[in-house]
Amino acid sequence: MGPEDLRHILQELPPERREELLVGLETPDDAAVYRLGGDLALVQTLDFFTPIVDDPYAFGQIAAANALSDIYAMGGRPITAMNILCWPCELGNEAAVRILQGGADKVREAGAAVVGGHTVEDREPKYGLAVAGLVEPDGMLTVGGARPGDILVLTKPLGTGILATALKGDFIEAEGMAEAIGGMCLLNAGASRAAREAGARACTDVTGFGLVGHLLNMLADREIGCVVETGKVPFYPRVMEMAEVGMVPAGAYNNRAFYGDRVSAEGVDELLTLALCDPQTSGGLLLAVPPEAEGMMMKRLGAMNPPGAWPIGRFVRRGAAPLELRP
Amino acid sequence: MVRAGKAVVEFYMLKGGNFLNETVDARGLACPQPVVLTRQAMQAVSGPIRVLVDNPTARDNVSRFAASQGWLVEAFEEEYGFRLELTPGSCEAAAAAGASGSHLFVLSADFMGKVDNQLGTLLMKTFLNTLAEREELPSHLVLFNTGVNLACGKAETVTSLQRLQEKGVSILVCGTCLDFLGQKKHLRVGTVSNMYEIVDTLASARSCITI
Repeated sequence: MGPEDLRHILQELPPERREELLVGLETPDDAAVYRLGGDLALVQTLDFFTPIVDDPYAFGQIAAANALSDIYAMGGRPITAMNILCWPCELGNEAAVRILQGGADKVREAGAAVVGGHTVEDREPKYGLAVAGLVEPDGMLTVGGARPGDILVLTKPLGTGILATALKGDFIEAEGMAEAIGGMCLLNAGASRAAREAGARACTDVTGFGLVGHLLNMLADREIGCVVETGKVPFYPRVMEMAEVGMVPAGAYNNRAFYGDRVSAEGVDELLTLALCDPQTSGGLLLAVPPEAEGMMMKRLGAMNPPGAWPIGRFVRRGAAPLELRP
Repeated sequence: MVRAGKAVVEFYMLKGGNFLNETVDARGLACPQPVVLTRQAMQAVSGPIRVLVDNPTARDNVSRFAASQGWLVEAFEEEYGFRLELTPGSCEAAAAAGASGSHLFVLSADFMGKVDNQLGTLLMKTFLNTLAEREELPSHLVLFNTGVNLACGKAETVTSLQRLQEKGVSILVCGTCLDFLGQKKHLRVGTVSNMYEIVDTLASARSCITI
């Protein structure tokens, strides 16, 4: 659902307040964090969606990397995962097996185990996982906490929503978006580790609300604003080409409309602004890195294969709009 | 017309000739379907296309797609959403339609096709020859960029252009282009024109075909 509908629904729920609940629904964080006692807390999240690529094994991997990402965005380490599979039986068992294998392999790569799951018959396939992880409350990363002067670092290129739309419309082949598929399969584990070591002050992952929406979530503190140099934002190959021929998903338009004047984009091409609102699947982490740690962060993530760190802006004292996009 | 994404071809008469018109009803469809259907329709017909959509996302995506293919887009708000009128050809002004009755051919290079080679030169020569033989003629030829070479010096196309001019076709030759290419004193047919006049002619045209 779009950010607007979601907000309306969630505000109808009674607030949950208990001492052990360190992160709940009050903040737009990526996962819930519940103190188990001592210096250990449980991180919980779930995510599932319809196929965005045709290859079932790749879809399984992407769905798992995406679900696991919320744990990494909180600075945690995943321990167990449960499958959620909605399946039209006429598609047969073989594809379902491939999806679950993709998911299980990715969970194993993350050092966690698939320990159960649940299936539902459905007209359209959907797959994802509920993931549990652990984190030391002191080492937890949250969406709030950025300070003026911090560098905004993104750890994966953007454009998966646009490319998935183009794939659906037969404007691009899976081979043409191989780099994006590889990127979506990539765990955010390394980025999360580097973020903790660099002393990142805030962290979230880029998913359905797009870069702009998740960045706005980092700016809940009214004193804080952010300036993004749009020319520095990385996109997967062929994303802007596909945007130019009308392969922009409705979610990007809805996101853009909802963010309204919280975003100033003077002089920025309208299509580029829209692409920055493109809903991402298994997107990268978005980090507020203290300026003195930027060098170390870039060195750590820049040496990874594929390299994954782009400084795209900086946090500032808030001006007229919380978020300023610059050409 | 049939609802739910069925593309329906219908013929209708416009002043000046038969136009094949296709209506794509993309109401109720999620992206990228409206663009996919529009693309199919563009590939199937050569005339203008009407696309019906029921949300701004589809309006913007279809408009963007059509514009990227060099089609002119006009969007109108309707009760059900939006009606998009798509017209082929890259002359944006051409479909400021109906203003006058002029039909333009725009020649923006001295060869036909995308690549400058012997074939392209030969094709352009044959094209102008054949055009000069026709009874129904465009009202104007507009020569741009290296298209001006067609009217200059020893170009084999000069004779055809002279015949067209004799038959009443007004040939506008871009003066800036002649200057730039050093061809001004070699011009043998047509009227030297300026951007103001060219834009004006394009803007008031009823149809425009770019070669």
